[in-house]
Amino acid sequence: MEYKLKINDEIKTIETTAEGDDTIKVSMEGEDVDVAYTLVSDHRIHLNIDGVNVNAFVMDGPDGKTVLINGVAYLVEDVQTTRAKKKGSGSQTPTEVTPITPSVVISVPVDVGDRVKKGQGVVVLSAMKMETTLAAPFDGTVARVNVAEGESVSPGQILVDIEADEAESSAGEDKNSKHEYLNNIK
Amino acid sequence: MFKKVLIANRGEIARRVLFTCREMEIATVAVYSDVDRRAVHVLEADQAVCLGAADPVESYLNIDKIIAAARETHAEAIHPGYGFLSENAGFAERCAKEGLVFIGPPARVINDLGDKITARNIMIKGNVPVIPGMIQSESDPAVLAEKATEIGYPVMIKASAGGGGKGIRIVNTPEELQASCEAASREASVAFGDGTIYLEKFFTRAKHIEFQILADGHGNVVHVLERECSVQRRHQKIIEETPSPSLNPELRAEMGSAAVAAAVASRYVNAGTVEFLLDENNTFYFLEVNTRLQVEHPVTEMITGIDLVRQQLEIAAGNPLILSQDDIVARGHAIECRVYAEDPANNFMPSPGKIAYMQEPTGPGIRNDCGVYSGFEVPVNYDPILSKLVVHARDRETCLPRMVMALKNYILLGIKTPIPFLIDVLESSPFQKGQIYTDFIERHFSEWQPRLVEADMARIAFIVDEMNANRRKKTAVLSEQTVSTPFATLGGWRL
Repeated sequence: MEYKLKINDEIKTIETTAEGDDTIKVSMEGEDVDVAYTLVSDHRIHLNIDGVNVNAFVMDGPDGKTVLINGVAYLVEDVQTTRAKKKGSGSQTPTEVTPITPSVVISVPVDVGDRVKKGQGVVVLSAMKMETTLAAPFDGTVARVNVAEGESVSPGQILVDIEADEAESSAGEDKNSKHEYLNNIK
Repeated sequence: MFKKVLIANRGEIARRVLFTCREMEIATVAVYSDVDRRAVHVLEADQAVCLGAADPVESYLNIDKIIAAARETHAEAIHPGYGFLSENAGFAERCAKEGLVFIGPPARVINDLGDKITARNIMIKGNVPVIPGMIQSESDPAVLAEKATEIGYPVMIKASAGGGGKGIRIVNTPEELQASCEAASREASVAFGDGTIYLEKFFTRAKHIEFQILADGHGNVVHVLERECSVQRRHQKIIEETPSPSLNPELRAEMGSAAVAAAVASRYVNAGTVEFLLDENNTFYFLEVNTRLQVEHPVTEMITGIDLVRQQLEIAAGNPLILSQDDIVARGHAIECRVYAEDPANNFMPSPGKIAYMQEPTGPGIRNDCGVYSGFEVPVNYDPILSKLVVHARDRETCLPRMVMALKNYILLGIKTPIPFLIDVLESSPFQKGQIYTDFIERHFSEWQPRLVEADMARIAFIVDEMNANRRKKTAVLSEQTVSTPFATLGGWRL
């Protein structure tokens, strides 16, 4: 089996061959190691890598697995599967007004019809007593405000729809499709 | 002693208070908001009363609802924990009016010490050294400019009603003064409803050292030694220890006496903390008094063996202190690390979410005051503290590796935590040498990113996990005991 595993932008190719029950041979970038393992529980794996014992704690996530070893969390991504998944999910540039963490809306300093400049604050949020402001991702007009003060919101939720200016939309998408795209995500 | 106490707080501190109450055979009443139905303090208290919506104004800050909960459950006293209503003089006063005992200082003390300028003047009268600066608030830019020159730049703008780092501005040159004063005043009026500001000398390289005090209602006052709290992010402490590596016995005795003097000058009752700044010449200055139990109180408990919550309850019940200053002796060294739901690699942004898996560290000298568990969803509405990990050892040298080990054995999956950051700080040479100033993080760790030294092992763990991906469902079914143990099969054995 071949894996291409990415941690913090570094991709390594790894070949594995299963030796027997609970043992595998791993070849990582030309280096061979013997791995014996015990599946201790749902999240805990005890590894013996070339004679060295390691406890790893593993959890699945949307972008790969989080592996915790000696207090450090590694986000490990399988490049082959994630590339397939990401195809067709649209542009990766931040075009949505959405929180990066679950938050509560403190205020919405804009109204429908307001002209906004790229970078202008459109929603003020609070997560665990810390305030952050979400900015307009491009110049445009506020088409819709989807939240009110005091509401709880989560990542992915579009808080404010902004219709991009004509000039701005020359980047590849016309303004209608961008607007539609924002609505679709919601 | 009280028969029943209501704990007007949540999470780890509510649970901490609950433990001592239980040891003292005092019944406990928890209060909670809608999002905290599954929080530890609710699950573990003898009784629990729902206050209302998640917004603190509707729940943990709602005085009427908390008083009603105390009435309904026949609690005699209220412990406010820290944060929320703990330093709210109006709440203390209301408790007194309702015939409930507020476990903390009287409203008058909270009022006096909560106003920074009043507090400064009390300390000046009590011969406690204060930071050079103004003794009254000011709004006239010309007067402020004149005072700033008199004090000497850099100066610090502070909000009279301040706390939690809000309304604080550091000004290095006369040109920045006016704009900074306006900004600080604005921030203060939003945060505290009071835009009053004043100026103090700012020390670029200072240490934050605080003394625990205990004062009863009969005029007895002791200090319970110091805590060093210089490692801070956004003016909030993250690592605390005692004894401070910066104090020698003479300075400790001198500062301890000043802390007692501060308690006497403010006619303090109950547990409190006197904060000092210590400059590079080992000159110390009064900073403020925190009129509540501190987050970092466990380190003091570890080295003195004194349960500070028990002391609070005894004092609130009107009992005299049984401790004299000579009874208070330190043994060994203790360190606390605050474990928040936050991302240390991304400016300590909060990281709320569900804890998929948790394993607490254990071992000699390890204490974890914890407010969460596996499967708990950390709400977005409150301070993101998960737990306070505390270790105790013979001396600082043995304490540091013990803390590093405890952090490495602290497993939290599903949310981000500062654990890798804390490990790096503890293992850094300036921390090991005790060269800790309040600018420690900006100076040494401002662009911190985790060191991914075991990435290859993580990749191998990924593969092993992936190969055995189906096991998660399987083990869920297996959790019913299917393996025969001697206890299940041997029948009538006596052990």
